[in-house]
Amino acid sequence: MKTLIIGAGISGLFVAYELAQRGLRDIVVVDASYPGSGATLRNLGCFRSSFTSPEHVVLMKESIREWLRLGDRLDLEIEQKGYLWVARKPETLDNFRKLVEFHHQFNVPTRILDVDEVKALEPRLNTKIVAGAMFDPTAGKMSIIKNFTKFYLEVKKLGVRIVPYTRVTKLVARGSRVTAAETSSGTVEADAFVVAAAGDSRDIIATVGVDVPIVDVPRHPYVTEPYAKAIEPALIIDWDTPGSPHVTQTKHGSLILARDLEDTPRASLYSQRVDAIPHILKPLRELLPFLSEVNILRYWMGYYDMTPDHHPIYGPVQPYENLYIAAGFSGHGMMMGPVTGKLVASWILDGKPYIPIAGNLTLERFKTGRLVKELAVIG
Amino acid sequence: MRKSGGVVVVCRCEDVTADDIREAIELGIDDFELLRRYLKIGFGPCQGRSCVAIAARIFARATGRKIDEVLSNYRVRPPIVPVSAKYFTRGART
Repeated sequence: MKTLIIGAGISGLFVAYELAQRGLRDIVVVDASYPGSGATLRNLGCFRSSFTSPEHVVLMKESIREWLRLGDRLDLEIEQKGYLWVARKPETLDNFRKLVEFHHQFNVPTRILDVDEVKALEPRLNTKIVAGAMFDPTAGKMSIIKNFTKFYLEVKKLGVRIVPYTRVTKLVARGSRVTAAETSSGTVEADAFVVAAAGDSRDIIATVGVDVPIVDVPRHPYVTEPYAKAIEPALIIDWDTPGSPHVTQTKHGSLILARDLEDTPRASLYSQRVDAIPHILKPLRELLPFLSEVNILRYWMGYYDMTPDHHPIYGPVQPYENLYIAAGFSGHGMMMGPVTGKLVASWILDGKPYIPIAGNLTLERFKTGRLVKELAVIG
Repeated sequence: MRKSGGVVVVCRCEDVTADDIREAIELGIDDFELLRRYLKIGFGPCQGRSCVAIAARIFARATGRKIDEVLSNYRVRPPIVPVSAKYFTRGART
């Protein structure tokens, strides 16, 4: 059996890895550019299971477990230093209490911190404007570049063929089967096809007449020069400011700052906005005054491949019996990588997801109207 | 590449040597953009002005590729030189 995976980002490579682990030999991964060039190498590398839908919490807990297991084996850089959601308004803490109650149903140990506890955890925070916080000690951050590169080498070692700079222009279907993909370097035939190309998945799958509701929403992170350790938690989120500005510090020392800004969907990744930096920086330096003094080194853009309910699309693409999708991660593809690989592999080889709740995340939900509901999309 | 008998530093911001580059290629890192990120070549304060061309040449020679091809995905990111945050926040709306 030959499998063609479209997209050599974290999702496509984890699907290839799991299929190879389960004994498949003829696996080819193509990418329009270099491996990881899409959302994978543009994201912030933070992870958590403290979501607000059962689907996200269950899958993310499993994914974090798998990341840590893989981290031990491949010597990856992963740290569980926690997410700190800072509340400026006292009434926000009431919402946090409801979230904590929800998380505890799934054994995710989030907790509410009062101002003194916030100060103790992160002495650099200007607690004069802080009412309290929610903290998830099991959340964390990883080195995207180190981990992705080491994982890429591991996937290659398993005999997976990764072909960069090969853009899929069209899928070819005959009856209920997809038979080939036309690419910029010729036609590739296969027995099973997996589309893991973030927002480009929509255009690729549209060529066989199926609508995939993913919108590329531009994001604008920027990074400072490296500094000695400046913040304790993996991620600090200014929850009461629109677009929830957030900051993380890499192990190397650079601070990465970002905020969700209103933007034109599918805006070019090179249509950089000069107003992004002040919009992100101003609220964050109120919370962390030392940010007024940092040197800004680099600014880049990336997409959240957003679905209508901010959950990924997994599994079979009907009416085709050998076409699968893993896309629409809405900002969470890196953290979901391991569970994505195992889920899609189980769909292909066993005909069903190995974690039943993932069955709620197929493309069919947009036809039947059974969307997943989530209270908060953050980091 | 001529042997210098000593350490050849290619990227001074991130302290990457010519041997680091060759070792990364031997590990199996077969794309220049991936290699650049893995070793942080051009990701320090100089933003690649002094190192990327040298690193690209070493990579091109080691992999038998043309230098234009090696550099075809290299992008310069603003603000090009490090700028203090204080210059960005005057008059900004929250």
